[in-house]
Amino acid sequence: MPLHNFFDPMRFGTELAYTLIILIFCFVIYFRTKVLYDLTKHKGIKYFRYAFLFFGLAYLTRFILHLRLISTISADIPMRLIHLPVLVLTGYFSTMAIFSLVYTNIWKRINAKHFILFSNIVAVLLSIAAFLTRSHMILISLQLVLMICAVILSFAKKTKKLSNVRTLYVLILIFWLFNLFTIGHRRLLPFEVKVIFQLISIIVFLIIHHKVSKWTK
Amino acid sequence: MDKMTRKRDRLEVIYDILKIIQDNNNSIKPTPLLRKSNLSSNSYSEYSEELLGKGLIKEILDKKGRKHLTLTDKGFKYLEKYKMIKGFITEFEL
Repeated sequence: MPLHNFFDPMRFGTELAYTLIILIFCFVIYFRTKVLYDLTKHKGIKYFRYAFLFFGLAYLTRFILHLRLISTISADIPMRLIHLPVLVLTGYFSTMAIFSLVYTNIWKRINAKHFILFSNIVAVLLSIAAFLTRSHMILISLQLVLMICAVILSFAKKTKKLSNVRTLYVLILIFWLFNLFTIGHRRLLPFEVKVIFQLISIIVFLIIHHKVSKWTK
Repeated sequence: MDKMTRKRDRLEVIYDILKIIQDNNNSIKPTPLLRKSNLSSNSYSEYSEELLGKGLIKEILDKKGRKHLTLTDKGFKYLEKYKMIKGFITEFEL
């Protein structure tokens, strides 16, 4: 049976293209920095890589969640079956991504073992919360709180100035929450507005990818 | 602040140790390496173990059975990529 019988082709195509572009950027960043990490075992590089690996996985699982939103009734039954496990995975991957990204900036000030344990516990708790409520809204609310705390922690440094790279990090976090929000609220935002946000989000990842490429030729 | 007075970071110390070995025709005994690296003996031991563990240097014995330290391929690669590593870390504030 043709795919357009299950999904709105326009929305499906846009989401697929967006997810693939972000996924490619994330995985390219992850693999291109492997040599630098292998040579140095530098913790900052390690968590920078983890952040993009987890963001890639989170965007992938978000896409699967999004399929349910844009699916027609005939595809809704199988989508409903996979919704919950995918929601749990999205919660875990995205929370780990947020923690890893923040940790790249603060690892020199914080005990690594405790932080990894703490981030895993929080990620699992958020996933459980998403599982129990069967809603991604709890994830958005908790991750928003987490993000605010993380940003405060990250900027509680001697240099309070917002550097270019930290601005990019904050934008990545904001766009993630925006993308998670759009899963359940497509009527709140016109399709065109969402596409514009996604284009800006792609530009942010493109800039980071470009910066990474500069040092990993 | 110049290089002699400011505290070197870990990556810089590793670079300096590897560079000393390379500049000594890729073979140096531990005692002169300790002296040239400007480290305390405790720090030197830690770095030496770390570099051996990471496979950046290896120990070889000469004909008289004396221990020498030499760079591995990975050690040479570290020296080659050092500017990139530092640039990357600075760029992303890692």
